[in-house]
Amino acid sequence: MFESRSEKIFVSGITIVLILLSVIALIPLLSVISTSLSSKNAVDMNLVTLWPKQFTFDSWSYIIDRPDLWKSFFLTLVTTVIGTVLALLMTALLAYPLSKSEFRWGSVIMISVVIAMIFKAPIVPYFLTIRGIGLYDNPLVLIIPHILNPFNLIIMRTFFKQFSKELEEAALLEGCGYFRMLFQLVLPLSKAVLATLALFYGVVLWNQFQHPLLFLQNTDWFPLQIKIRQFITDDNVIMAGAASTVDLNYNERTLRAATVIFAILPIIMVYPFLQKYFVKGAMIGSVKG
Amino acid sequence: MKEVAFYRMKVYWPLYVMAIPGIVFLIIFKYIPLAGAVIAFKDYSVFKGLIDSPWVGFKHFETLLEHPDFARVFGNTLILGFLKLALVFPVPVLLALMINEIRKSALKKGIQTALYIPHFLSWVIVAGIVFDFFSLSGLFNIVIGWFGFEPLLAMQESEYFRPIYVLSSIWRDAGWGTVVYIAAISAIDPQLYESAMMDGASKFRQIRHITFPLLLPTVLVLFLLEIGNFLDLGFDQVYNLITPMTYNVGDILDTYVFRTGIQQAQYSFATAVGLFQSIIGLILVYIFNRMSKKVSDGGLW
Repeated sequence: MFESRSEKIFVSGITIVLILLSVIALIPLLSVISTSLSSKNAVDMNLVTLWPKQFTFDSWSYIIDRPDLWKSFFLTLVTTVIGTVLALLMTALLAYPLSKSEFRWGSVIMISVVIAMIFKAPIVPYFLTIRGIGLYDNPLVLIIPHILNPFNLIIMRTFFKQFSKELEEAALLEGCGYFRMLFQLVLPLSKAVLATLALFYGVVLWNQFQHPLLFLQNTDWFPLQIKIRQFITDDNVIMAGAASTVDLNYNERTLRAATVIFAILPIIMVYPFLQKYFVKGAMIGSVKG
Repeated sequence: MKEVAFYRMKVYWPLYVMAIPGIVFLIIFKYIPLAGAVIAFKDYSVFKGLIDSPWVGFKHFETLLEHPDFARVFGNTLILGFLKLALVFPVPVLLALMINEIRKSALKKGIQTALYIPHFLSWVIVAGIVFDFFSLSGLFNIVIGWFGFEPLLAMQESEYFRPIYVLSSIWRDAGWGTVVYIAAISAIDPQLYESAMMDGASKFRQIRHITFPLLLPTVLVLFLLEIGNFLDLGFDQVYNLITPMTYNVGDILDTYVFRTGIQQAQYSFATAVGLFQSIIGLILVYIFNRMSKKVSDGGLW
């Protein structure tokens, strides 16, 4: 392809700007990582910018020794895993009939799904409903309200619609019922959309803050984000495990930094495995709706 | 006819069974709360219940319009909503146009990854990062210190709340926002570019006269959806970024509803505020949809 000189400059200019923007996007993260790995003195003397100074794992070993943090961590891990599996199941069970023209209720349900997506109920009646069905101060509130999302439902339905009709009709004639067809034929061939939606649901479940804030009183059930917020905003909570105030190699700030990175790590670890799927999956949904 | 109906039931019943859990979910978690919004027109009391609480018409709406707190909170919400629309919304469009020009796929992927990652962090975490960044010994103060400026605790000063709100929105979500636009750009017919190149159109002119106009319908749809959420600024974001010193500018409808409705249990009043918020959103979508239909013939419906 012929490219003139000015065009090459244009493209390399854009490339440089984008690389700079990417670096800028990562700088705040890098700075927090460095803080978490630096000593108290280095931080107090304003020495830490993008690389750790007076490198130490002391903040990390303190954070990792906090049983209350691990408790919230495992609670959130369990609710996220169970919630994601349930959500994929719920979404597939409704998306599959909705993708079939022989399903008579389809158009009515689709309209009500779209209405549910556009009209968000005010928070107070939502709160009263959740309380009315017994989910107040109940750890299940960390899972159940999240297991069906209208937007994700539409993405999955769109994906199922593109499915080859012949294959399914042949299976139907063979006497294969819709349940077997969904679980043995359709879902095994839908890994891309399942991975995408697993990421979407998983991130919502892992990151949820408003639901536990509204509905949980019992500190035993506090999920990770609420715990992290206590660590970040309350110096008494974060320093609760510090032995004596003299000779510490960490302070509130390095500990907060370590806490923040602690909560990000699982997402960073899962991300590369799902990345190749989710862009494609997000596109399926967006092009359509 | 009966036999046909019988056959239909015999083969198709599983589809109906499958749909039941989802339908029940939508009724309980979406439609009952939506119907419950009628308490905005009642004096809801937990003891009397929904049915027996007395109707009071527009009493709560009148109260909120006269309430000085409401005017302040509504003003804050309008300003932040406007800033978000004007400064945050265009960023993904520009980014997507730029990312699209990069041909080296490894580099493109790296850039996209770096720009997507912040979207997957919760607002608790993002706020943690922002507070760290602007803390006394944080990166921001170190850097302005190099240029001889006095340390500035930006999180505690109300004049910096709005810029921080805008910048944190861009940082977290602008990268992810490009996904839709990149998908829309990749759907453009490559022949258009080929014939433009034959005519000697430069890259810049191709963007201006092909990519951008063909991207515009997508931009318009997303703009209308954004208008519908004009007053919906994200509870998590504001709740986590606000400090007692920035309350005067950072208190918005979402935090106000949380405080009056959940913490002070003024259920009917807070529902009226929430309903007011949704209705304004609907009116705005309706107006802008009509305008966009007049200008170009795109629109939501």
